[in-house]
Amino acid sequence: MQKSKAVLVVLLVVGGGLVSLAAAQSTHDQSVLVVQGAQILPISGPPIAQGVLIVKGGKIVAIGAAGKVEIPAGAKIEDATGKIIMPGIVDSHSHIGIDANPTVADSQDANESSGPVQPALRALDAIDPMDPNIRMANAGGITTANIMPGSGNVMGGQTAYVKLRGATIEQMLIPGTIGGMKMANGTNPKGYGARGQAPMTRMEEAALARGIFEKAQQYKAKWDAYTKAVAAGDKTAKEPDRDLGLEAVVQVLDGKRVVHNHTHRADDVMTVLRLADEFHYRVVVHHGTESCEVADELAKRHIGVSYTVVDSPGGKPEAIHLSITCPARLEKAGVKVAFNTDDPITNSRLLLRSAALAVRGGMSEDAALKGLTIYPAEMLDLESRVGSLEVGKDADFIVLSGAPLSVYTHVLETWIEGEKVFDRSNPVDLRYATGGFQVISRYPQSQVGAQ
Amino acid sequence: MRMLPSSLLLMAALAVTASLPAQNVALVAEHLYTMDTGARGGPGMVLIRNGKIEDVRQGANLQPPEGYQVIRGAYITPGLIDSDTTTGISGAYNIAADQDQEESTDPNTADVNVRDSLNPEDLLYQYVNTYGVTTLQVAPGPGNPIAGRAGIFKTAGPQSPFRTVDSLVVRLNSAMVFNLGETPKEIYGKSHKAPVTRMKTAEMIRNALLEAQQYQAKWDKWKKDGSDLSKQPTIELKTAALADVVSGKTPAIFNAYRADDIDTAIRLGTEFHLQYMLASVAEGYLIRDKIKQAGVPCLVGAVMQPFESLETSNATYENAALLQQAGIPISIMTGYEAYVPKSRVLLFEAAVAAANGLGMEQALRAITVSPAKILGIDDRVGSLSKGKDGDVVVFDGDPFEYTSHVQQVLVQGAVTFSRPRP
Repeated sequence: MQKSKAVLVVLLVVGGGLVSLAAAQSTHDQSVLVVQGAQILPISGPPIAQGVLIVKGGKIVAIGAAGKVEIPAGAKIEDATGKIIMPGIVDSHSHIGIDANPTVADSQDANESSGPVQPALRALDAIDPMDPNIRMANAGGITTANIMPGSGNVMGGQTAYVKLRGATIEQMLIPGTIGGMKMANGTNPKGYGARGQAPMTRMEEAALARGIFEKAQQYKAKWDAYTKAVAAGDKTAKEPDRDLGLEAVVQVLDGKRVVHNHTHRADDVMTVLRLADEFHYRVVVHHGTESCEVADELAKRHIGVSYTVVDSPGGKPEAIHLSITCPARLEKAGVKVAFNTDDPITNSRLLLRSAALAVRGGMSEDAALKGLTIYPAEMLDLESRVGSLEVGKDADFIVLSGAPLSVYTHVLETWIEGEKVFDRSNPVDLRYATGGFQVISRYPQSQVGAQ
Repeated sequence: MRMLPSSLLLMAALAVTASLPAQNVALVAEHLYTMDTGARGGPGMVLIRNGKIEDVRQGANLQPPEGYQVIRGAYITPGLIDSDTTTGISGAYNIAADQDQEESTDPNTADVNVRDSLNPEDLLYQYVNTYGVTTLQVAPGPGNPIAGRAGIFKTAGPQSPFRTVDSLVVRLNSAMVFNLGETPKEIYGKSHKAPVTRMKTAEMIRNALLEAQQYQAKWDKWKKDGSDLSKQPTIELKTAALADVVSGKTPAIFNAYRADDIDTAIRLGTEFHLQYMLASVAEGYLIRDKIKQAGVPCLVGAVMQPFESLETSNATYENAALLQQAGIPISIMTGYEAYVPKSRVLLFEAAVAAANGLGMEQALRAITVSPAKILGIDDRVGSLSKGKDGDVVVFDGDPFEYTSHVQQVLVQGAVTFSRPRP
């Protein structure tokens, strides 16, 4: 009896989550919030020295210089004098929630290593919204993320485009999005080879990828023929069997779902391009360790790179040529570069740092800041909602204590759709920024680094 | 026999390379940090002659003497010291061919010596030099309860001529490394070999140290009784190496993350009257009063690592600051990395500490003079003062700023890395 009661409670809670999702969309705080005094970096335009940002219903309703923007009467005023405000960071490649913290086997759900082609898998079915890594990402200023299956499979599954807030995946998912498709080539899917299974070689990886796209083309043709026949009034037309995986791959072929392709070596990058050319799908190169060697090939196809900045080369042979100069070389060739955490490979509190290290490697500060905001937003087809501070966009922004690319700067506040999700002055939030959130009661009283 | 003369020639050539008098160098800084009682960020000049620091002068507009190669920089600091790392024995490719840090065939490998694994040609060994590390203590990996002997070496940079391991030695047998916590359990426990539990790890270490005490006593007695060769005790390499630890000749490093593992290390160190250090100490801040009371220095582990184990899940960016503020001597170390990135960058780890309570100057101390003192090599390295090694790093901005660059690195007066023109 007790058990069934518990089940009932769970159902109510889950159901409540679904209901409140709909509610959340319409019950955004309709009061007006004014954040003023900070230097604002809208990304879509030049910095505003004494900026004013006005938020209503989770959206930006006005932005501009002090004195040029009318402050509505009765608005809640937040003073940010001396601070810097920029858009919430968009992480185009993360495993938070799906490779949850701490990284022990029980909480690892990114790699379904039972088969190398898994288009039917959905990351959203394995994301734990309670993963402390998500709060840590907030502490790092990340507001939007593409949470993906891992790179152990040639086709790893459907990714999830989320806002980093909420207690359920439904509250996290960005309405109207279906996510991307994770693919990988090079070393990682060859993990099957060690067990005597395919793929054992890069050749086989490419063959498996071609195989699933060929199948999806056939599947699509079958459904197109059926739809056409029905439309023509053919009552004998037989509905083809549904295939959950192929449906998702057809969305790739139809351009509705972008392929996010893990790849390191230059020849592997070219394999990604070869497949995308052959099957005419949209793709973003992820990691792209040697992508700067084939930057022109990327530039002429207008394909961007979601780059992972790590501290040293190697760890595996295909990453041996890693260099912080690669993003700068891509920029010079006209390739758009986004920075990703690949959390847990780099920690979500440190994505600003990745962009800063790219500047150390020669990238312009302008491209580096776009690589944290509007470029990843474009790679996720979210540029109309997030990635810059413009009227009509989601009120996702962060308040910084200083220059965005300085080591001494801290993220002070993170806001998603007009709601504060991280506040460094809150003692609990602070421990997600520094670490030690599980031992807050025993954390030494010293206030080092509080601001 | 025909090989002999040529190999002798090669050895002679190497000996000449190693002992070649380095060029005289004058380093002129806008912000000089000597890390001793001298300059703390004011302008100044460091003169290096024959690989050693000849003079340090403070003040602006100093004229370099004739005949010195002049290097100018915004910030100049001593060469950085990584107090505990596997860089050099845990290669960049991360394949069996270049992984020589973990002799996981026996939980007690007290007889191994990192010197015999060290590869100065490894990409990462040279890479860390490009980020200012000129001295490092190379330690065996985290897998064995008794892992073997660490050594302190100079780094070789991309511009260094071929260097033999022996030409880089600062001190051999600088420490015996003991590993507590998760990793030994993981490596041996999964095949049901000891240690499966933390209890067993501690027991194995206690037994080995007890045996080493008895071994030492046996040899002391033999010497006292006249060193009669016919009665000489059998030489046991592992026990002999540990006898040096219990007799205080070789310091111990206890690598421990969780607070209770740190406590175990203190318990062992106290029981056997060891001269010891604590390394990694992810939860050191939770037990800092006890560490302070024990008077043990801490080599503070990297904090930008993924949370890939339970024992690091309470890691905090403020660990170094909290330990330092408790009055514990600290240095920052990079330790061992299993995947990507294969090496942590000491400068970057110190930068995070600097920005999280430690501050710029204390963070710089934690990678220069402080590790030099903890490791007992401050007569040679760790600060810029007369008579010390000409190990210097030249930066174009605040050393810890993400967007600054290391412009030059000098080891014993020789430029080992010079930043390519962008």
